[in-house]
Amino acid sequence: MALKQVQTTCAYCGAGCQIMFTVDTDANKIVEAVPADGRTNAGTLCLKGHYGWDYLNDPQILTKRLRKPMIRKGGKKSPLVEVSWEEAISYVAERLGEIKEKYGPDSIMGTGSARGAGNEANYLMQKFMRACIGTNNVDHCARI
Amino acid sequence: MGIPEIEDAGCLLCFGYNGADSHPIVARRIVRGKQKGMKIICADPRVTETARISDIHLQLKGGSNLALVNAMANVIWNEGLADTRFIEEHTKGFDEFLKVIEKYTPEYAEPITHIPADEIRRAARMYATTKPAMILYGMGVCQFTQAVDVVKGLANLALMTGNFGGPSMGIGPVRGQNNVQGACDMGALPNSYPGYQNVTVPEIREKFEKAWGVPLSDQVGCPITHVPHRILHEKDEKKRIHAYYIFGEDPAQSDPDLAEVREALDKCDFVVMQDIYMNKTGLYADVILPATAWGENEGIYTCADRGFQRVRKLIEPEGDMRPDWKIIADISTAMGYPMNYRNTEEIWNEMIDLCPSFTGATYEKIEKYGGVQWPCRDKSMEDRGTPYLHKDGIFATKDHKALFYGTDWHPPVELENDQYPMTLSTVREVGHYSVRTMTGNCRTLRNLEDEPGWVQMNTQDCEKMRLKKGELVKILSKRGYCITRCLPTDRVKPGATYMTYQWWIGACNELTTAKLDPISNTPEYKYCACRVEKIQDQEWAERHVRELYDDIRAQMGIDTGKGAEA
Amino acid sequence: MNYFVKGNPDLCIGCRTCMIGCVVAHEGKHIFEVDPDSYSFNPKLHMVKTARLSVPVQCKHCENPACMAVCPAGAISQKDHCIVIDTDKCMGCKSCMDACPFGAINMTVQTGKFQADGSEKKVANKCDLCYGLPGGPACVRVCPTEALTLVTEEKLGEAMEHKRMEAARNTYRETHPQE
Repeated sequence: MALKQVQTTCAYCGAGCQIMFTVDTDANKIVEAVPADGRTNAGTLCLKGHYGWDYLNDPQILTKRLRKPMIRKGGKKSPLVEVSWEEAISYVAERLGEIKEKYGPDSIMGTGSARGAGNEANYLMQKFMRACIGTNNVDHCARI
Repeated sequence: MGIPEIEDAGCLLCFGYNGADSHPIVARRIVRGKQKGMKIICADPRVTETARISDIHLQLKGGSNLALVNAMANVIWNEGLADTRFIEEHTKGFDEFLKVIEKYTPEYAEPITHIPADEIRRAARMYATTKPAMILYGMGVCQFTQAVDVVKGLANLALMTGNFGGPSMGIGPVRGQNNVQGACDMGALPNSYPGYQNVTVPEIREKFEKAWGVPLSDQVGCPITHVPHRILHEKDEKKRIHAYYIFGEDPAQSDPDLAEVREALDKCDFVVMQDIYMNKTGLYADVILPATAWGENEGIYTCADRGFQRVRKLIEPEGDMRPDWKIIADISTAMGYPMNYRNTEEIWNEMIDLCPSFTGATYEKIEKYGGVQWPCRDKSMEDRGTPYLHKDGIFATKDHKALFYGTDWHPPVELENDQYPMTLSTVREVGHYSVRTMTGNCRTLRNLEDEPGWVQMNTQDCEKMRLKKGELVKILSKRGYCITRCLPTDRVKPGATYMTYQWWIGACNELTTAKLDPISNTPEYKYCACRVEKIQDQEWAERHVRELYDDIRAQMGIDTGKGAEA
Repeated sequence: MNYFVKGNPDLCIGCRTCMIGCVVAHEGKHIFEVDPDSYSFNPKLHMVKTARLSVPVQCKHCENPACMAVCPAGAISQKDHCIVIDTDKCMGCKSCMDACPFGAINMTVQTGKFQADGSEKKVANKCDLCYGLPGGPACVRVCPTEALTLVTEEKLGEAMEHKRMEAARNTYRETHPQE
């Protein structure tokens, strides 16, 4: 068993706690999470920080982990069908392009994400909406 | 201010903020402050953990925030407790502000807030005379139709007492989600580019046009809370939302008035969902794009006190998922606007060079110091960021002066009535996060709290209705209903109820109103009229809840093994 | 003298990290990999919240335990500095639950063991100060606000000493109010 230690920022709430994870790289799984000495958390964690990481191994409890791109090929209410990334990307690009062409850029809305995705993905999302689509219709759940 | 500074304040005014449930590790600082002798004033309609250890608990009537804040300002001025030198040197608009607060005597506020006039006086004196004084506020301020006015009202208190520009003072919104600060920083907002640079300012727009090589829109975009209306009721086809690209959000669970949200998603021509787990919104998505999760990718988050910190990859994703940034870049490229980045650091470097407040916050510095609080303007290793803002009373306005802003209190939109005699406010469950696709899939957190959640009700109300702890009840508003368990408690006032929003069955957003604050566009989650009904046949109700739960889990792709029980 | 874990309501924020910490310590880390319904989630301490109080309540590890006295199966015994239940011997009579003045004992399902009628075996459950587990009581270790402490004979002695000093000073002040 090859173990490594990785320090990261907790996935929950704005407190920004630092957690030290022990990872079994052979089994590709987390072995342990202990509080790290971060600026805000000073070696402490709450229940989500201590015990909120095992969703990563897709426990089949509440909802299914999404692993493949999917399209409703028969339109709304039809079943989702697994497709390749190439097909999914070009389908999205094509449909968004059509709608932009037909109704203009302000008919498309995009969201950022205040959760796992991180700052870089949010930067790209707003850049995509503004520079590629051509609208300022981008917002996220700060209001929620 | 920074989170570690909280414990060194002389006085903390904790307003509509329940750290123990929303940020236990921030609540820890409040507890430590108390141990060090910090005075605590807690304004909250519930007995929260902070209220419990406070010196003064202002248990105000929900929806009366601004009346209380203005009354505190009135006392501070009339009793000569204001810092007139600070007001003179660092602010503008004080005289106009005085005209607004003139009528808000404690006696005037008492019948609105349900707080005795002398308690308001005592709190105002304690806040004004104990230095340094800090204000923390949360969703109990923001999730009202009168929200921005209250934030400004709290800022008025800090300004008139000179509580800005040093450590352990000022006013702090404690941001909820791990990266809600970051999503704002990065310009996932309809009115600003990254770094809070306004889309309507021509020089700024030109800078981004040059950097991104395309002309950009000068029109402020659509806020997320307007989307249902813009899909369902917008007459102008060019403004009507026809496509909705939803990334890491679940509006079909988290947004107010869910019946309306479902109708909107159903009617929207094209819905793209990019997420890690199947969720309620996925049921309406035309395309689902699977993303890597926290723990499977690299990046930077911003925590509640403007701290940029690294988030690192722990394990390899098992499946055909891709990082969010990669998916977005690929779609953009396919649409004819190429985006080529090899990693998150390349994206970050492009971003910081466009944002003066972030320019100095390089990956190298964040790695080396464990984090950087913005503003950080200089790339040299000496600029380590800014622990607190407005140093020495110099504000981020053109003339460096802060502006007083007074407004009158108005009541919430939907008041109690004959049909719906109680109030509902949404609150947080400490062990679950947002719509719980993450924590609900964590085994021990699921075991600690699960469907259908609880409605907190005063014990007297429960006795009147003969409701016992754990009994299933039906709760209704004019928009919908749900079933949840009754939790009798003396921590809430008679006539008020509280529910948490992450449950599918006890889904309080079936009930909430989509009325918004006119400036922030935040819904009034903290106030709507409701009614609680006893369910006579508890056996049926328990069975019904189990069946519903199994049905929804099956919709979410879980093999429940049994399907719906007979 | 027996030890016990004491909660301080001035520090407790009611977050229940201690309750999960307790389960993880007793069940083992495999619970992060198995079906959460396949074992019994039974914290050995209970968060109590009244109008003005939040604090976890757990076994006091009494010196003359009522639970031990009433147990007909001899399943409750003293080990080192704590009172522990031998769940194999426990017959589920609930006498201990009834006898405990602190409500510190509840009945739990013992996963994987069955009673005569085929149903899962139910046994008494209470704090054992993480007896036999490394690192001492898990609840104390994971609490983010240090609201829980393990009270040992030494700590109790120090506290009593301190209280006596205070009492003596107060007596002196009462008799010499001017000084």
